[in-house]
Amino acid sequence: MEIVPQLIVNSIIAGSIYSLVALGFNLIYDVTKFFNLAHGVLAAVGGYAVFFFYKTFGLPLILSVVIAVLLTGLIGFILDKLVFLPLRLRKASDMVLIVASLGAFTAIQAIIAILFTSQFQTLSQGSGQNIYEFGNAVFTQTQFIILASALIIMVGLVWLLKSTMLGKAIQAISDDEEVAKIVGINTNKIISYVFFIGSAIAGLAGVLVGFDTGIEPTMGMGLLLKGVIGSIIGGVGNIYGGVLGSFLLGFVENFGIWKISGEWKDAIAFILLILFLLFKPKGILRK
Amino acid sequence: MEYITHLLILFSIYGILGLGLNLIVGYTGLLSVTHAAFYGIGAYTTAILLTSFGINFFLSIIIGMIVSGILGFLIGLVLSKFKGDYYALVSFGFNIIVFSIFLNWQNLTRGPLGIPGIGKPQLFDINFYNNFNFLILSLVFLLLSWLLSWFIVKSSFGRVLKAIREDEQAIQVFGYNTHYYKLAIFVIGAMLASIAGSLFASYISYIDPSTFTLNESIFILVVIILGGLANLRGSILGALILIILPEALRFVGFPSDIAAQMRQLVYGVILVLLMLYRPQGLIGEYKL
Repeated sequence: MEIVPQLIVNSIIAGSIYSLVALGFNLIYDVTKFFNLAHGVLAAVGGYAVFFFYKTFGLPLILSVVIAVLLTGLIGFILDKLVFLPLRLRKASDMVLIVASLGAFTAIQAIIAILFTSQFQTLSQGSGQNIYEFGNAVFTQTQFIILASALIIMVGLVWLLKSTMLGKAIQAISDDEEVAKIVGINTNKIISYVFFIGSAIAGLAGVLVGFDTGIEPTMGMGLLLKGVIGSIIGGVGNIYGGVLGSFLLGFVENFGIWKISGEWKDAIAFILLILFLLFKPKGILRK
Repeated sequence: MEYITHLLILFSIYGILGLGLNLIVGYTGLLSVTHAAFYGIGAYTTAILLTSFGINFFLSIIIGMIVSGILGFLIGLVLSKFKGDYYALVSFGFNIIVFSIFLNWQNLTRGPLGIPGIGKPQLFDINFYNNFNFLILSLVFLLLSWLLSWFIVKSSFGRVLKAIREDEQAIQVFGYNTHYYKLAIFVIGAMLASIAGSLFASYISYIDPSTFTLNESIFILVVIILGGLANLRGSILGALILIILPEALRFVGFPSDIAAQMRQLVYGVILVLLMLYRPQGLIGEYKL
């Protein structure tokens, strides 16, 4: 039983990371209504951007992180302009959008591997990390920052959606894009902003994972699937639902491997998703 | 010559995979991204039966098809509850679950170490030890898969599948139980993939879980989307192009790690460009 406090800490950290991915994914799904699979690879872009600016180029840490997050947002924005916007204008089906996003995912992942090799790398310099003890559980400073970021981004997004003109426009598009157009909202412009914001959050998730464990080009798929599972079991398109679902997933995954090998995590996550889709398809909090 | 034989064997294997997946994605309109799971089940069944029990290759193909068929039935049963993007996502999940089983059920699959020393087929006095004979064998299986697919597509069963793709509710009104049809075609596709897996295991003589990842399922999807959805010749054409095209990269002289990534890059870009400019593929008859 001594392991339980550590399992709780691990679950919370995993839940926070998944929440960050889920928040961006949910926001984009809210306005475009398709599963943007390219969202995952943007986390890898964020991680590698910090690797390049901070470790190779030698810029200060905070500056590198800011550049990386903005760059990831920009790439999401460009993907929308080049791929998803033309498809939306042509009224392409959801399947076409999914397959296109899968293609974008594969291509960007390959570009990262060509530029930086497919080796596993770490972002943190040396071992000078502060470690906190909490009963029998141990967590690092990075992990504390991960939890704080997830909560701050969640509160920030709620504020954005509830209290700004942009947020109101996003909600209008989410309710009905056609009607939003009729009342004079430039929907394509708003959607491209959403792509920027959502992708930037994914980039931040990638950066934080990079400091916590490390980065590799294929990290995106795992993060994406966990984020998607988190948002679906929480209730797709609902901010609180996405966070709640992600934390639930974190707990189920980490307690699921209490007695068995950690390699089963992914399978456990998908079994949870399939059970939810079969018995509670709208998720915990429906929109 | 040996090299061309090698490419043609791979082409037949992917041709079989493409034919099976095209029945599911192209003809029935179900975006399944879990084909590599059944490919792997076939490969592992053959590998285990040949190395541990010394069973004949051809018998192992049949057992592999039965195992794949049963698992395909169970997975298809769950999948048939979904449609559209949720279908794709859940099929992703099954690929990852099956992959985890290959990786973690170490008593059976030896996990990441893989299974080496898988034997070549032998039928009475004919053996398939040399690659040329193996090629003939693979082409025979490709032909059989083609005939089966052709028969399905031309039959009234195939017409119901296309009707499900175009308008599931309308065909339900006519009294067809569409769940039954979707399940049946999924099982047939899974069994075809299992044949390809058995051939692959015996040909390469070593398998490990890394061959049967989600990326492989995506690759098979690229094969049929590029060649053409709902067109059997399209699956063959797609397999031919995607097996030969990356070889050009090899001759340009990239190191093997980079060449592998370049291949992924090409597949990704092909998918995006096809979706943007030609969603039905080269000679396809159905747009996603």
